[in-house]
Amino acid sequence: MFVSNHMKKTVITVDQDASVFEAQQLMAEKQIRHLPIVDAENRLLAIVTDRDIRSALPYTLLKGSHTDEEKAGLIDLKVKNIMTLDPKSISPMDTIQDALLLIQQHKVGAFPVINEKKELMGILSVRDLLSSFINVLNINEPGTLLCVLVEEKVGQLKKLVDTITEEGISFGSVLVNRHWEEDKRAVFIYLLTNNVVRVKKKITALGFSLLDPMSWYIDNLSQKE
Amino acid sequence: MKRTGYLHDNRYILHDTGPHHPETSDRLLAVYEGIKEEGILEHLTMISASRADLKWIETVHDPVYIRRFEEICLSGHNTFDDPDNCISMDTYESAFLAVGGILDTVDLMMTDKIDNAFCAVRPPGHHAEKDKAMGFCYFNNIAITARYLQEKWGIEKVAIIDIDVHHGNGTQHIFEQDASVFYYSIHEHPSFAYPGTGRDFEVGTLGGHGFTKNSLVLPGQGDDVYYMLIQGDLMPAINKFEPEVILVSTGFDAHRDDEMSDIKVSTQCFSWMMQTIMDLGERHCDGRVISILEGGYSLQRLPELAGNHVKILLDS
Ligand SMILES: [Zn+2]
Repeated sequence: MFVSNHMKKTVITVDQDASVFEAQQLMAEKQIRHLPIVDAENRLLAIVTDRDIRSALPYTLLKGSHTDEEKAGLIDLKVKNIMTLDPKSISPMDTIQDALLLIQQHKVGAFPVINEKKELMGILSVRDLLSSFINVLNINEPGTLLCVLVEEKVGQLKKLVDTITEEGISFGSVLVNRHWEEDKRAVFIYLLTNNVVRVKKKITALGFSLLDPMSWYIDNLSQKE
Repeated sequence: MKRTGYLHDNRYILHDTGPHHPETSDRLLAVYEGIKEEGILEHLTMISASRADLKWIETVHDPVYIRRFEEICLSGHNTFDDPDNCISMDTYESAFLAVGGILDTVDLMMTDKIDNAFCAVRPPGHHAEKDKAMGFCYFNNIAITARYLQEKWGIEKVAIIDIDVHHGNGTQHIFEQDASVFYYSIHEHPSFAYPGTGRDFEVGTLGGHGFTKNSLVLPGQGDDVYYMLIQGDLMPAINKFEPEVILVSTGFDAHRDDEMSDIKVSTQCFSWMMQTIMDLGERHCDGRVISILEGGYSLQRLPELAGNHVKILLDS
């Protein structure tokens, strides 16, 4: 789960002397929202985001209802006038978990990834994080979700894993929610099979209860009201 | 009373899935018993299967896949592509007979020998992708049928209504770029149930955009939600599409006593659903409806469900 395995390694950068219009065009063309700025040695200097650009340009320009005169007045606006210097970055050896926590803390959409010499190695966006989690959850593979309520004591998960292994079923993913009820955890097991009838019976026979997803759906509904 | 065909062939029993598999030949016997119990056998046109011509299977499936399927059956392996898909030596032949029987049924309907039909086949088909066996399915029976209607009988617009509790990923993928086949499926929410596709934002791609529609049901839900979704999603979609033939992927596994799902549909609601489909068929395509068996695993409930199902075809 290292950043280096999930980041985009080909990074589109922009020159700090480029005009804001050029940067905007580049983003639109490449369908990206973040452009790092590097020096001649590929060391990270700054970043410019689509949000920086939007707040720098007057409303009429964004709407496309601008006159040529207005546009001429802004042509001198350069990337270096609006970029964020020394932006928050991460290392290729940071983990996806680090990145998640950092993104939550800093409320940014992407991190430039730099090595110890400050050289730009890649970029990791929220979108890349999402696809790595889709992979980990394995939800692109066909399967069935089991929701099991487990008591907070040693060896419970092992029993579940053993039972499923006995049935010869492959695991897609296992998620544990430790704060389900007092002394209870919820275990969400994604199994790569269509055939869960027998394994469900075995799990219930071991004394586990299967969660009824409808009950938490209804709980959520009543919370919203 | 309608002239209703009933495809039933003892050779579908030869596809042997082993001792612990839910998709067994007992299912077809339960279906037969239920129809017999209704006392309607004598009013039905019994159809037995002939072997499908390979060229029709190739309208949907990759030739390399078909060869792979044949070889693995002959080699004596007992699973294909996934541990879920249990096979025997005769699975390949049974799959050809399933398709062949349905295509014969189509011919009878298109030459006005019957009005509608129920095809009690196995193996089922709606999970089968063009190059991959999935969820107990090898050939996508219903997809091949739609292509056959178009290519042999010049039908332009086919609607496929999939009421199996699982999403028919294979059928959706085969037609998702195709505006001439409308695919509707009502199934358990893909975050909980196999195969994990059929979300409500999957609506078809490219030229087929708007010709796929998925209605989702949460675990524990049943009749009320089905009444609402069939009336609110299916009926307007079919009325807008105006199909020339309706094909139904009939799975009975949404029944409240079927352990393969967490959906709680009653026997009465199944009848209502089929009656609604027949009414749509009457309105748009002279009642030309062919129902093809997919899932449904409760041997206790299959007789009444299949009996009612065929009775509705007969009385529609
Ligand atoms: Zn099913």
